[in-house]
Formats: sequence, structure tokens, C-alpha cells
Amino acid sequence: MRNDLLWVEKYRPKKIEDIVGNEEAKATFIEWLKNKRRTKKAVLLYGPPGVGKTALANAAAKEFGFIIIEMNASDTRSEKAINEIAKPATSFVALDTFSAESKGNLLFLDEVDGIAGNEDRGGVGAIIKIVEESRVPVIMAANDPDIDKLRPLKKVCLLIRFHQIRIPLIIALLQKICLLEHVKAEFEALERIAQNSRGDVRSAINDLQSLSEENQVLTLQDTMMLTSRNKDISMDETIRGFFSAKSVAEASSLLFRSSVDYDEFIMSVSDNLPRRYTSPDELAAAYDYVSQADVFRGRVGTENWHLLKYFFNALSEAAAVAPESYKPFEFISPPIRIITLFWTKGKRTMLDGICGKIGAQCHVSHAIAKHDFVPFIKDILQKQKSSPLASWLKLTPEEVDFLIRMNRY
Amino acid sequence: MAVNEEALMWVEKYRPKNLKEVVDLHDIVGSLKAFMRNPKTMPHLLLAGIPGTGKTTVALCIAHELFGPNWKSFTLELNASDERGIDTVRDRIKDFSRYSRSGFGNVPFALVILDECDQMTSPAQTALRRIMETSSRTSRFILICNQSSKIIEPIQSRCAIFRFSRLDKQAMKEQLQCIAKKENVSLLPEAAERIVDYSEGDLRHAINALQTAAAYKEGVVDEKTVLLVIGEASPMQVQKMIRKALFGDFIEARKTMYEIMGLYGFSGSEIIRQVQREIFKMSDLTPEQKADLSNLIGEYDYRLTQGANSDIQLSALLAQFAKFGKAIGETY
Repeated sequence: MRNDLLWVEKYRPKKIEDIVGNEEAKATFIEWLKNKRRTKKAVLLYGPPGVGKTALANAAAKEFGFIIIEMNASDTRSEKAINEIAKPATSFVALDTFSAESKGNLLFLDEVDGIAGNEDRGGVGAIIKIVEESRVPVIMAANDPDIDKLRPLKKVCLLIRFHQIRIPLIIALLQKICLLEHVKAEFEALERIAQNSRGDVRSAINDLQSLSEENQVLTLQDTMMLTSRNKDISMDETIRGFFSAKSVAEASSLLFRSSVDYDEFIMSVSDNLPRRYTSPDELAAAYDYVSQADVFRGRVGTENWHLLKYFFNALSEAAAVAPESYKPFEFISPPIRIITLFWTKGKRTMLDGICGKIGAQCHVSHAIAKHDFVPFIKDILQKQKSSPLASWLKLTPEEVDFLIRMNRY
Repeated sequence: MAVNEEALMWVEKYRPKNLKEVVDLHDIVGSLKAFMRNPKTMPHLLLAGIPGTGKTTVALCIAHELFGPNWKSFTLELNASDERGIDTVRDRIKDFSRYSRSGFGNVPFALVILDECDQMTSPAQTALRRIMETSSRTSRFILICNQSSKIIEPIQSRCAIFRFSRLDKQAMKEQLQCIAKKENVSLLPEAAERIVDYSEGDLRHAINALQTAAAYKEGVVDEKTVLLVIGEASPMQVQKMIRKALFGDFIEARKTMYEIMGLYGFSGSEIIRQVQREIFKMSDLTPEQKADLSNLIGEYDYRLTQGANSDIQLSALLAQFAKFGKAIGETY
């Protein structure tokens, strides 16, 4: 029996010790909250999403008996708004200070890197002022602390860095949740969810929940449908997601999110297409879309980037020509063209040498030698193995041999 | 016809050495002979025309007539499509005009024959024009190209232009018969007809085909042998690629395509042109089927010009062939 609660909410850490990973950051934070507040009045927790920044602020407030006043990106954070809400919260020690449980307010400004330019005018300045005047702890959280406008903030804060959560810790957490939710899951499936999350616990839990909605028993196969999380989706993952897409929309949303090189990607699609579509009709239809995509790519050139959407759309059509016939298959990864060019390099050099010799004797260019002489000369040599032609053209025995065997390649 | 004894490729062996041996180019030869009588008046020349119509031959004849048997000492032969970059061309011309004697007898210059000039980019041609100016005291240029429209105006205006048109079929047949006689091969009339048809006015191609056919069978060249030669000499592998695709083996067909590109260095549009030619030679397809395939080829040839990547367009065409092959139940 599943309830409607999101698991990320349901299993949000209640205590500091429930938060997985980032032990060092947690220790620094607790130390600050307990003892060091006089040196710096605020902390800035920064790191990738889903690693426990907000959870730590909430859990710490609870454990140490603060009343948390929170503002995040969904609130407007102009100077005026900040002063209306945050200022009162930080100016007074709460009325019920005398009661034993509460130590007063704690201001938590989540997602401070989301303070926008225009609507939140003066926001950063106001925050700095509040930090300077505050009589209560101020905690801030951000994903990317390097944004220019936050630079002044960094001066008044203690910076605490959060890292991605290691995969084994995420797997352990997922196993715990599975146990509590009565979901049976293959270890490999959980492993893949954890890997796919790239150290983001929140997204891992979300993926686990969405996959177990449909499947009582979670297998590795089920996780193949996971759309990769949008942080630079690699070529392999994009290809995988692309070919397993059930609809044009799914494929195109994946392409829009991915940051792979388009030219490499379309080549890779072309290489793998015959593995995906084994029926000639489907293959021809899919290739027709890829071909159209290539035409759009040609029109995009190096400047008409607004046309790129047509490239994406045409390519996405190729992914969903026959969703029902999809079976997982093994991908060819390095482009066939490069392999073949590499493999044939020796032969190409040999042929070039021969053409050069023909050119010298017959007053023609390499190109004409290749088109108009080689086909005939190889034929003559095949018929008359000891033809004096070879020595007249100054061909080496290897070159003669090469020409004689030419058709068998 | 004088015979170049040591040459073993017939195209070389029977290449005319003097302008009077050149067949079927009476107007051109007439004007050129006037220059030969008074070489001082000879301007730079631009010879333009389709392949195999005698441009290089005429250029070499001029060298022969001007300098006699030692023509090689006074002539620099360059091929624009082989020389990498205009700098190489410039250096070689510079070296040549420095070290070679600038003239012989009453000919006050050396000769530079530059073949396939239309392969040069226009910046390279601009540089060439400069070279022509600076070395004009010591050298005369004979520029050879397929399309004179691809030669920049300033060069065209510095040259006397001669246009070579497609060779007359009758003249080609006579030429082939003449060579066959000298080689003691009896060339049957319908075989000659076939060769000439297939060569589309390209005499070099026709002579090569004749020599190859003669290697098949002692003393006689008949129609059957010619057809065999044409089949064998048709662009290697292209036929194989088409058949594999029609047979439904797309993966193998594409592999062959990459081999053709890799081994022979053919471009996408070259391959597609050959596919078009091959399709019409395939006797096991009905005219309607050929027309359908030709339409497909046309579509993808066009996309090739619009698109970014010729591999993809060719692969897409092969996929269409596979579908087509399945529809007509092709069984090879």
C-alpha cells in the first residue's frame, strides 16, 4: 500500500545523523552553530543539489531548538521584502527565549544564488546588512557560489562546501527505503539509480519512487528507461536514451537537455540505426529522418543556430519510427567511418603511390590515374600476370600484387 | 602515326608527338601551327574541354615542336590537383625558371604546362596570375582545365583560349581501328561501337578499354569481351555495394561504402554519380525499376548538396535501396 506522500518528504532527515555523507561539512557546521558564531555571523553552505544542505539546516534547527524562518527562491527577495520578513526575525531575541526549548530564531535563506537581478533589486545588499546587524544565526545555501553578485556575501560568511554523495551511501539509503516501502529491488537496479543520480540523493529517491510505482519487483531492465539527469549527459547515455525513447517528444526533450556534440551524435545515430531497426522499411523510414536532420544541419551551418530545433525534431522522429519494436541492443561506439579510414590507410597510401607512378608516365593527375587507369591496369595485370606493363610503370611487386587482388577487398 | 616505342600503355604509345598527327581538331591545330612558325609571338595558352579530348596531348605536341627531342629540359609539367598548395607551384616554377635554360634556338622562353587548373582555388589562381606576370620574360604557360568558367577573369584575359569539344564518334572509331591494326588485333566493328558509346567522347578512356580487352583474348576484340571489360572496370565495389543493399544486407552495403570512401578516397557525390551510372547498367532491373531507383538517387544527390555530412546521405540512400529491394522481392 503506497501513500501519496513523496518519499523525499517522507524520508527527509529528521536528525543531523540521518543525513548521509559530507561528515566534515556537517561537523564544521555544528561547531559553528554551537561555538563559533561570534567570529562569523553567517554560514554559506554550497554544493550540488540534493546533497543535504537544506536538510542540514532544518535538522540542525530542530535539534538545537531554533525556530527556523525560511526564505527561498520562490519568495521575492528584493530589499524591501527581505527587510519586511528577515529583519524582524533577526532583530529581536524571541519573546519565548525564557522557555528552555527555544534558543530563538534562525534565518535560513535557501538558494541565494537564485536572487535575480531585476525583481530582487538590492537583495544581496540587504542580506549583507542583515547579517551584519543580526542577533540570530543566519544560514544560507547555494549551488554555485562563484556567481559574481554573491561575491560580497562570501566576505561575511563562513563557507562550508558540500560534495556529491558517494554511490555506496546512496545505495544503502535506497535499500533502507525499499525495506520500509516493501519494494523488492535488484542490487544492480539500485546501483544504476544511484549512479544515474550523480551523487544527488533527492533525485535518486525520486527515481526509485517513480520506478517502483509500476514495478513490484525492480529489475535492472526497468532502470534502462531512466532518463538521464540533465547534468552533462554523456554521448553513451544520450544514445541509449535516444534509442529507447517511446515517443518523438521523449527523444527530443532528451536531445534538448543533452550537451553532446551534435555532429558526433548524428554520426553515432547513423552508425547504430541498422542495429535498432532490422526491418528494411523501418530502417529506410528512420534513415529518411536522419537524412533530413542532416540537411537541416547543413542549413544551420555556423550561424543560423535558430534552425537547430528543426534538426532536433527531424532526428527525434528517427528515434520513434517504431517504438513497439524496440529491444535493447549493443551500441557501436567509435564512429565506423573513423575505424574504416584508419583500417584502410595503408591501402590508400599504396594506391596513392601507384597513381603517382601512373601519373608520371602518362601525364595525368592522381585523380585521373585512379579513375581512368587503375580499373583497366588492374584488369590487364589480372589477365596477364607477367605483363611488361608493370615494369614500364615502375611498379614494385607489392604494388602489382595489390592491383591484382584489388577486387577481393 | 609515329610510335613511341618504349611506352607500354597504348594511350602513351600512340599519343601524337606532332600537331599534324592530331586528329579531329583541325581548327585548333591550324591556329597553333601559326604560333609554331614564329614562336616569339606565342602568348600564354588556356586549353579547356572535357577529359580525353586531347588537351594534354596538344600541350605536349607544342613542347615537342618547339624544343625537339630534348623538350623535357625546357618544359615543366605540373598538375594543380597533385601539388599541394600554390606555394609548391610557385617554388617549382621559380626553381625551374632559375635553373633551366631560358630558351632554345629561336624560342626565347621555357614552357610551363599546368594541368587541371580549375582545381585551384581563386586565391591560388590570383597567386598564379602574379607568377605568370613575374616570369613572363622567361616562360610561357599552357594552362589546361575542364571548365574555363572556373578560371578567374584576369588569367583568362592573359591567355589565348582554345576550346576542345567532344570527339567525333567516327573519328574515335577510326583511331581505335588504327591502333588495333598496329597491335595486330582485329577489332570487330560492333565492339568498337560499344567502346565508343561507353567512353562518351573520352578517347583516353576508349584506348584504355581497348588495351584491356585485348589482354583478355589473343588477337581479337569482340563485343562480349568489351562488355566484360566494361563490367570489370566499372568503379570497383560500387556494383557490390548496390547489390548488397538491394539484397537487404544494409550493414554490409554500408561497410562497402566506407571502404570505397576510405580506400579510393571518393567523395560522397562521386560515389552517388557512379551509383547512378551503375544502376543503368544492371540488366536484371526493369526500366521502370531503374527509373524508380533513379528518382531515389536524385533526391539524395540533392540532399547531399544541402546537407552537412555525405556519409549520412549515402547511408540513407542505401537504406532506401534495401527497402526497394524488399518490395520487388529481389533475389540475387
